[in-house]
Amino acid sequence: MLLTYASVKEQAEKRRELTNRIKAIIVERLSLDIEPELITDDQPLFGRGLGLDSIDALELTVCIEDEFGVTLYDDNMEVLGSINKLADYITENME
Amino acid sequence: MKTLMTADDIRKLLPHRWPFLLLDRIIELKPGSSGTGLKNVTVSEPYFEGHFPTESIMPGVLIIEALAQMTAVVASTGAIEAAKQAGNTDDLDAAGRIGYLVAIRDMKFMKPVVPGDQLELKVSFGRAVGILTMVKVAAYVGKDKVVEGTISVSQRPDSGAEA
Repeated sequence: MLLTYASVKEQAEKRRELTNRIKAIIVERLSLDIEPELITDDQPLFGRGLGLDSIDALELTVCIEDEFGVTLYDDNMEVLGSINKLADYITENME
Repeated sequence: MKTLMTADDIRKLLPHRWPFLLLDRIIELKPGSSGTGLKNVTVSEPYFEGHFPTESIMPGVLIIEALAQMTAVVASTGAIEAAKQAGNTDDLDAAGRIGYLVAIRDMKFMKPVVPGDQLELKVSFGRAVGILTMVKVAAYVGKDKVVEGTISVSQRPDSGAEA
């Protein structure tokens, strides 16, 4: 399939919109003391990355469900690894 | 109102004792899922001596503690039921396996709780991830909601059984 410049641009914009929304949600719901735009898409969310812990993971799981209607399960918690992984999972499972 | 558990029953389930057992009776219980308990507040509670000397108000954190104890009752009856279903008929040491409070979120205190009030403590289990569970909690005095919020609790890391 041939992708036109316009369709690629549209996809990229959609993706940017989604990752920005995820960042805003994480910062707001977890009351993080950081500007959402300072979180990078591949930065680890837990441990040394953004410094989240298992208690935050529980809260994050609930707010991803609330906001996107997408359920996370115990056996696919690696989805919470980074903004990109989370965005991939949400895009795959939203429809 | 049906009494499902008396204070004596509760003492068998929780390790808490005076002056920190803040649950008098259980009137609704779905093990592992939800429940309602009662706490009668009297002027003789030890904390009224200092909170405050001229105005008795039950400390909000102690209402959260009472809700956490109600949560522990729901969790441990759930664990006991799960163990029974798994064919384990031994008496479980429920009080020795009680979990921990790990987060308190968005807690609101709408009205002071004073001597003479009967707290109705309602808890409802939500999402669980690993050994952590989020629990919606609310306390009522009569028809008035006095406290509302969310707490997260953890099972003991060594307890094994998933509640």
